[in-house]
Formats: sequence, structure tokens, C-alpha cells
Amino acid sequence: MSRLDRTRTSAHQLRPFFSSQNLLNRADGSAQFDFGESSVMCSVVGPSEVKLRDEKLDKATIEVVVRPLVGLPGIKDKAREQAIRETLEPLVLSGLHPRTGIQIVVQTMKDDGCILATAFNATILALLDAGIPLKSILGAVTCIVDNNSNEILLDPTTEELANAKSTHTFVFDNKSSITSKEEQQESVDVATLYSDSTGLFSEEEYFECAQICYKAVQAVHGFIRTAVQKKLEKEYQQIHS
Amino acid sequence: MATPAFTFTPSTFQKLHPAEFFRRFTTEGVRPDGRLLDSFRPTTVHHGVISTANGSAMVRIGGTTVVCGVKAEVAEPRLDAPDQGYLVPNVELSPMCSSKFRPGPPSEQAQAVSEAINRVLKESKVLDLKDLCIEEGKAVWVLYVDAVCVAYDGNIYDAALAAIMAALNNGTIKVSGGTAANDENSFKLKLARTPLSATFAIFDTTLTILADPNVTEETISDGQISITLDETGLLCGVTKIGAASCSQRVLKDCVQSAKKRTLQLRGIMNQL
Repeated sequence: MSRLDRTRTSAHQLRPFFSSQNLLNRADGSAQFDFGESSVMCSVVGPSEVKLRDEKLDKATIEVVVRPLVGLPGIKDKAREQAIRETLEPLVLSGLHPRTGIQIVVQTMKDDGCILATAFNATILALLDAGIPLKSILGAVTCIVDNNSNEILLDPTTEELANAKSTHTFVFDNKSSITSKEEQQESVDVATLYSDSTGLFSEEEYFECAQICYKAVQAVHGFIRTAVQKKLEKEYQQIHS
Repeated sequence: MATPAFTFTPSTFQKLHPAEFFRRFTTEGVRPDGRLLDSFRPTTVHHGVISTANGSAMVRIGGTTVVCGVKAEVAEPRLDAPDQGYLVPNVELSPMCSSKFRPGPPSEQAQAVSEAINRVLKESKVLDLKDLCIEEGKAVWVLYVDAVCVAYDGNIYDAALAAIMAALNNGTIKVSGGTAANDENSFKLKLARTPLSATFAIFDTTLTILADPNVTEETISDGQISITLDETGLLCGVTKIGAASCSQRVLKDCVQSAKKRTLQLRGIMNQL
């Protein structure tokens, strides 16, 4: 079966990933993450000074700013800010940097669907690039249930999203994936870090989507690991050459 | 006999270690306000509380009160959708309802709740926007759905969604203005479905699930799960946010509990 974007052959195929770290000179860390034609750039500044009002005595304050592709940020972007911040806050070991601030800016560069998932992946890469201590890394993937075929399509494009009966975005951390890999069961009890679903769907559809996204996120985790590994190798070579 | 170094009154203990105070209760299967872990607060729904609005309702979930009014106005349609009206939901969390909120532009929480409700209304096709068309390409109805929180004690999403759905169900648009309501010149809003939600807080590493969290429970919780269902048991939205990763088993339990809760809430809403 061919997908609407014609480059993919299967419903459970993700678009090609691309990532690039340390693109911005003035930020402490930055990264770009692409899912096919969707691209998000993220910058991280911190730990740095924080406004007195936002200062927390025992941990770092995390601020997330989401910028849309065009125009001024609206309530949709505010909702995304909240989603990203509340998912990252527990991941960052903020107790190591009390009374400081970590500012994360997320900018959409190209929009072809799944911006929230792309933003999550870009953010984690930027945090790794900035050297912010983390408890675990995360990976995000979106899927839809198609209106006509009732099939679950992973990583939909804008065109496919217009045809969706329901849309589901999932975030999983790599901590839970390690424990469940050992079990090697067909249906592992996956631990969801963030989940957001809209549209109309049954309970079975929701849990099936979770399973499929969970499997797909393993590829994202692997990709992030390789990206960091390559970056470190390069830096090591530069130091020792 | 040695006396302990420090003794606290319960209220001091609660202020110093809110989470530990709370844990002492949850390990016994109850909450400080006397509820069981899976019980929701008493809920009331009043219809038609604002006589000047096209539709209105007031919902109370425990200490949280939300008043919602629907106002219909005539506007020009969008160019890309000439035969569709608009639905503009907005949730307001003013300093009046809690000291948590500051005056000024809407807080992040208010915007996030508005957006969540907007998406539920839009994505699960609650109202056919073509019903709001007056003359294609020229004039359509725009429905301003404003939910104002008058008392905030947690779980604003459930309360706001219930108030908005009750107000829309109650909504009548008078086509000719001025004189008294005439049945020929007014129509009731036709809703395809009525999504209602149930929210749960995740507390602690033991993944204790607390139904319908109040404001203190919200501040010490490690995450929230909101499940929105329509009358046929079809899901209209699932949101899980926050620190604690929760397993599918927990989510399944929450869906079951949400089914019971929304059924009960529907019963309360349909009593007139």
C-alpha cells in the first residue's frame, strides 16, 4: 500500500529522520530535528540567571517558548509550551542547578504535520547538546487513524492529517523501554510519559496506537543515541587533532 | 520515657510537608477531605442561569464553580469555508476565583484549557458548523462560548467542559431580534454528541490514582490524566501529562472509571 506522500510503502513507516546539533553560536545548546518535510529548531540557554519572581530555591526554573511558523504565538502554542515543559521538568535533574533558569525556545521551520512530536525530539537533542543533566531521554511519534481505511498511519503528513478520524501523539522515555525489552513480550505494558489524543476513537484503537507508537519510538531513541555518539566522536577528534 | 524531639499539630505538619501529610492518608485509602481515592466530588448542574445569553449553565464540582454563557452574533464567514459558522470557546481564570491567578492577559493554564476544549469541540465534530450558516459567503452565526471560573478548587477542565456542553445543549438562537421568542424564528442548537470528561491525578511513585483532584492535590501531584467520552462510550480525547510515566493498565483503569463517571454526570445534566 502506498502512502499519500508516495515515498513510503507501509502504514507503519516513519519519514526519514534528520538531525543536526550545535547550529546556533550564541545559545548554550541547539538542535534541529526533521521528520521528512517537518522541521523544528530548538535552542537551550542555561543554567543562567532567572527573574527573581520565577526563582525556585531548590531547583532550576524551566521556561519553554514555542514560536509558530508564521505570525504571533497563539493559544495553540501556549498549550504546546505547557505540554513540553511539564514533560521535560521531571526529566531534567533541575535539583543540581538551584536558583537558575533554563530557557528552551522551540521554533517551527517547516510544517508538514506532527510538529509537536518533532518539537519534543528537537528539544531533547538541544538539551543534550547544552549538556543539561537529564534523568533519561525521550522520543515522540504521532499516528492517526485514517477516516476511510480505518488503518493506523504512523507519522502522518499534513495531507494525511486532513483525512484523520483521530490523532494521537505519544512520548516515551528510554528508561521504560530498557526494562520492557528484556521481557520480549508481544504486548509489553508500555509506560507513557505524555499522551495526547483527539478526534473520535475507541478504547481498543487508542491502546493499539500506543503499542504501535511505542515500537516506532524505539527507532527514534536509537537515532538520538547515534546522533549524540557521532557528535561526541567529532568533538573528540577536533580536540585531539 | 523519651519524648520526641518535635511534635506538630496536624495543620502544621500539613503546611510543612504537604506531600508526606497526604501520603499518610492515601496509604490508608482515603483523602484528607474524606473522599475515597476513586470518588468524585458532589456535582450540580444548573441550566439557563443567564437570561440575556442564548444558552447558559452553571456547573459545580465540589469547590469549583464555572458559569458558561453562549452568545450568538452574526459575522462574515471565512473565505475558505463560506458555508460554516464559528465556535469560539474561551475559559477565563480570573484573580477572582483563586489567588493562584494574577490579573492581566490569560494565564498559560487558562489558554491550555481553552485550547483543549476547542480541540475536543472541533475534532470530535460536536456541532455541524454548516448549521450556523445564514447565507453562504455572506453571513454566518458565530457562537462565543465563554466559561468563567468563579471559584477554583482544581479540575477546571472537567468543570469547564461540562458547563460548556450544558450551555450549548441549552442554546437557542433567535433569528429575528427584538420581540419575544417566537418558535418559528428561533432554532435550537443541534449537537451531534455531548463529550464529558473525567480527570485523575497521579500521586507519588506508587502511582496512586486520585479521581477529581482538588487544588491541593493538583499542586502535589506528579501528573494528570484526562479522559473525554461521548454518550456512546466513544473516546473524544485522552491527555496524559506530567512526571510520572503511567502504564497501560493504569490508563485502562482510568478509562473504565471515566465511563462510570461520565454516565453519572450525564444523569445529573439531564435532570432539569
